[in-house]
Amino acid sequence: MAQVTLENVTKRYDDVTAVDDVSMEIEDGEFVTFVGPSGCGKSTTMETVAGLTKPTEGRVYIGDDDVTTLAPKDRGVAMVFQNIALFPHMDVYDNISFGLQLRTYEDEEIERRVEQAADIVQLEGMLDRMPDEMSGGQRQRVAIARAIVRNPDVFLMDEPLANLDAKLRVHMRTELQRLHRELGTTIIYVTHDQAEAMTMSDRIAVLNAGKLQQLAPPLVCYNEPANRFVAGFIGSPSMNFLEGELVDDGLETKNFTIGIDHDVVPGATIGDAITLGVRPEDVHLVEYADSLTDPTDRISARTDVLEPMGDEVFVYLLLADQAERSMDQDPASSPNQLLMSVTPDTDIQEEQSVDVVLDRSKIHIFETATGKSLAHGIVDRSDQESGPTATEAE
Amino acid sequence: MTDPISPRDDHSTTASNAGPTRPDGGNSTRADGGETQSRVFLEDGDAELDRGPLQRWVDDSIKNPDKVYRAMFYTAAIFFLVTTLFPFYWLLMVALTPEGQLSDIILTPNGFNPGAFIEVFQTIPFHWYVFNSFVIATASTVLVLVVGSLAGYAFGRLEFPAKVPLLLLVLVISFFPPAAFFIPLNDLFNTSFFILEPITGDGTLYNTPGAMVLPLSAIFMPLAIFILTTFYAQIPDGLEDAARVEGTTRLGALFRVIIPLSAPGVATAGVLTFIAVYNEFFFSFLMTDGQPESWAPLLEGILAYQGQYEVLYHLMAAASIIGVIPVAILVIVAQEKIVSGLTAGALKE
Amino acid sequence: MATDTDGEAVIGSERRSETDRTGNAVVNWMENLSEAAYAYLLLIPAFALLALIAFYPLIATFITSLRADQTRGAEPLGGFVGIDNYVDILTGNARLARQFIDVAFSTSFPFVEFGTPFLQQALFVTIGFAVISVFFETVIGFGQAYVLDQEFRGRRWVRVAIILPWAVPIVIQGMIFFLLFQPEVGFGTEVGQWLGIFGPNPLADSQDAFIIILVADIWKSSAFMALLILAGLQSVDRSLYDVARVAGATPWQRFKRITLPLVLPALLVAMLFRTMDAMRVYGLIESSVGCTTVPSLTCLVVEAMFGGTRIYATAAAVAFATALVIGLIISVYVVFFRDTEGGLY
Repeated sequence: MAQVTLENVTKRYDDVTAVDDVSMEIEDGEFVTFVGPSGCGKSTTMETVAGLTKPTEGRVYIGDDDVTTLAPKDRGVAMVFQNIALFPHMDVYDNISFGLQLRTYEDEEIERRVEQAADIVQLEGMLDRMPDEMSGGQRQRVAIARAIVRNPDVFLMDEPLANLDAKLRVHMRTELQRLHRELGTTIIYVTHDQAEAMTMSDRIAVLNAGKLQQLAPPLVCYNEPANRFVAGFIGSPSMNFLEGELVDDGLETKNFTIGIDHDVVPGATIGDAITLGVRPEDVHLVEYADSLTDPTDRISARTDVLEPMGDEVFVYLLLADQAERSMDQDPASSPNQLLMSVTPDTDIQEEQSVDVVLDRSKIHIFETATGKSLAHGIVDRSDQESGPTATEAE
Repeated sequence: MTDPISPRDDHSTTASNAGPTRPDGGNSTRADGGETQSRVFLEDGDAELDRGPLQRWVDDSIKNPDKVYRAMFYTAAIFFLVTTLFPFYWLLMVALTPEGQLSDIILTPNGFNPGAFIEVFQTIPFHWYVFNSFVIATASTVLVLVVGSLAGYAFGRLEFPAKVPLLLLVLVISFFPPAAFFIPLNDLFNTSFFILEPITGDGTLYNTPGAMVLPLSAIFMPLAIFILTTFYAQIPDGLEDAARVEGTTRLGALFRVIIPLSAPGVATAGVLTFIAVYNEFFFSFLMTDGQPESWAPLLEGILAYQGQYEVLYHLMAAASIIGVIPVAILVIVAQEKIVSGLTAGALKE
Repeated sequence: MATDTDGEAVIGSERRSETDRTGNAVVNWMENLSEAAYAYLLLIPAFALLALIAFYPLIATFITSLRADQTRGAEPLGGFVGIDNYVDILTGNARLARQFIDVAFSTSFPFVEFGTPFLQQALFVTIGFAVISVFFETVIGFGQAYVLDQEFRGRRWVRVAIILPWAVPIVIQGMIFFLLFQPEVGFGTEVGQWLGIFGPNPLADSQDAFIIILVADIWKSSAFMALLILAGLQSVDRSLYDVARVAGATPWQRFKRITLPLVLPALLVAMLFRTMDAMRVYGLIESSVGCTTVPSLTCLVVEAMFGGTRIYATAAAVAFATALVIGLIISVYVVFFRDTEGGLY
């Protein structure tokens, strides 16, 4: 058993709280990714698991053991670092076997393990090279081999792919998934790249400002974000947010109103300030509204800039007059802008009047003041099946 | 390397004259080629009539200052070589001159007596003194590197409130002359300590290596701490973390990763300390009674040829040459390291 | 040892329970110290050594210097006399064979009177020695460093040759120059007399011996200067020279505008070290011309202590006064440092 449990872990430095009361349970064999913007405390949280940082408050458990005050070497963890951190004065063999040599294993045992580890990460025949003679990808494999050779209870990976080029990064991503399947070890993975988090993890822990925002499987984070921060962080391009107010006959934003029953927004009363969130792919041209089971009323807009990405085209829509467009505002939260994603074969130009609709089942409602999520999907009227697509189970 | 200078540039005359001082040839030919050169000729054209070789050389130099700089460079290099090496050469000549013929030795010895290099060891146990110096210098270097490494690691890689004041305190030590430490230390080392009795016999440190190793280590440690601090600070944090996760203790990470990776800095600090201790005069002169069995260092050995009634100059010279050999070898082996070590340190200063 | 459990281990397992986690109590205690506590722990050996060898003796010396000399009786030191010893050495009234400083003010030109010859007063000897030697060593050291900074064949051996004097033990350095100017053996005296700067017996004449000491020190210590300046020169980005060359700077301009300002911090550090060293000169004098002829400050301390006159308190006062003089000179440098980029921390 090597589940990892954090219990109210807090790390305070002189004037900043890097980790603020984080609790979570990571199952044995699970691949959990800590994700968040830089400075959110994800690395510090991992370091408390590694033992490189002692939490100011709270406990850390690996398996059933309280390891809070244990030295890193005694925790049965192995770590892969962002800067790879191979010892430049040792060859590949010595780098991989460093931890084993410290633990007085027999030479044959060390050799057997190193060869197996090298085999797993496909480094055969490179064991006598020095780190500076290798490419970035090869070095990263050595770092991974150094971690797996000890067959630790928990793998810790701190942005291990951040320093690789884009192509290699995608490749190593699949390699790591294969590795996880083969080894079945608990892996904690830190990244700021939400795409990495989405593709690799069993569950994602989204952190912001030292606080755990949501710990859930990737698609749950995507479809049912716990709050506005998670909604905005997960998914690329980011979700559109339109601030508004819950009124008698629906949800009124600056430029349009969507008619809803307010019972679909539990915990909110008329007059509350709420925020509507909708992902770019859930904004559709009115021509395609028929394919939706439950579109909103049409919203008129003007196209601004088009960004053809190849497999899709991002269309920046202006909801208000040209004059009210403000460049300095983040388009994702400007009340006058809406980002729409359409297929490349769509007939659409810049500076053109269009009508769009939103997919009601994909609309998210947040409490403006706290950012707390109120509802996922505002399926209209009572005759539809009740409430949001219930995937509360974790 | 210089780009060929554009002829359109009005300042090109000066620019082309400003060739590199480096004597690696190459550039000088390029600097006087092209249009710029012909302009210089035009200006000087009228005075091109009868000239002596000196004048021609002067004119040539004006046109092509590189040549002058190179000549200056070689002159300087040869001057420095002669001035630094001549005393050694002369010392050798004195050593080779037989006793009794020592007068007015300039470039050649008066006679030839290589036996002086053997006599040196027969007259007094000079090898014993050299050995003592060697042991004292080695022990001090080891002590300085170990203790200095711990301090250098703390100063270079850890954050703590009293860091700057403590670092300054260490540096202040080197402000004081050895004489300011000497009186109390002399008392201290002549005081009998019960626990030292099994080791030193009478329980005092006087006439033991400790009487030199301890003060010399303390006096030369600030420089070592200074060098090691800058080197240790440059090792990436990730390597230390990796070592600790892999299974070293905090201290283990220092000795297994930080120190091996700072090898040039450790070597620099070590060589500087060794040479400084080996060369030291004050404590070496005063902390023993001058007998080789009392751990008297090299210095006492050389002074021992100054007998009561006669001074064996040729033996002094021979002994001096022998005494220089260990450090000379160290300089030959480590000179590259010392310069690069100091350079890497200077970058961060 | 590795026992594969549950068949899940691909490589062989390392359960935490089998690792040497228990270690020993000391290691575990150290692992759990805070960063600051760990730093102080690591500093203990260094500061313990410094406390024993440096801080304690400095304080003890200072206290001794405040007591009276006791030339008779069992006790080596008399009662507390405050700064009397310092007053004595500054007014030339100390019981020293040669004075620290012995200057009286007078009403007629040049308004000062030397109680003893200028070069028999330790303070002037030492400061004069430090200023002149450091000046020449800086100039020559810079020249040597500049030569060593160039690329040429055989540079390695030229570098060894130039650095070598620095590695020579002080006693041997003293010996070489003693022999050179020993009238029986060396030719230095004849050269000096031919140049008209030496009298009949330079090793016994304060002024001549002072020059010998200077030459000896410049010979040895220029190399140290060269070493530190070379380190500074080599850390100058070479492409700056190319930029200057393209901009049309002459070699002199390149030196003045690029080399000198960038090397200045290293140069100042080197000069600081050398000045401190020169102010403490003793071994060179003792092993060549002797402390009687050229009495440096440290000479005074040693003579007072071992001269058999039992003037320990005066010796301590001279030692501490020497330290104060050095401290004063250091402060002058530190003021310089403040205006220089980089500086000494």
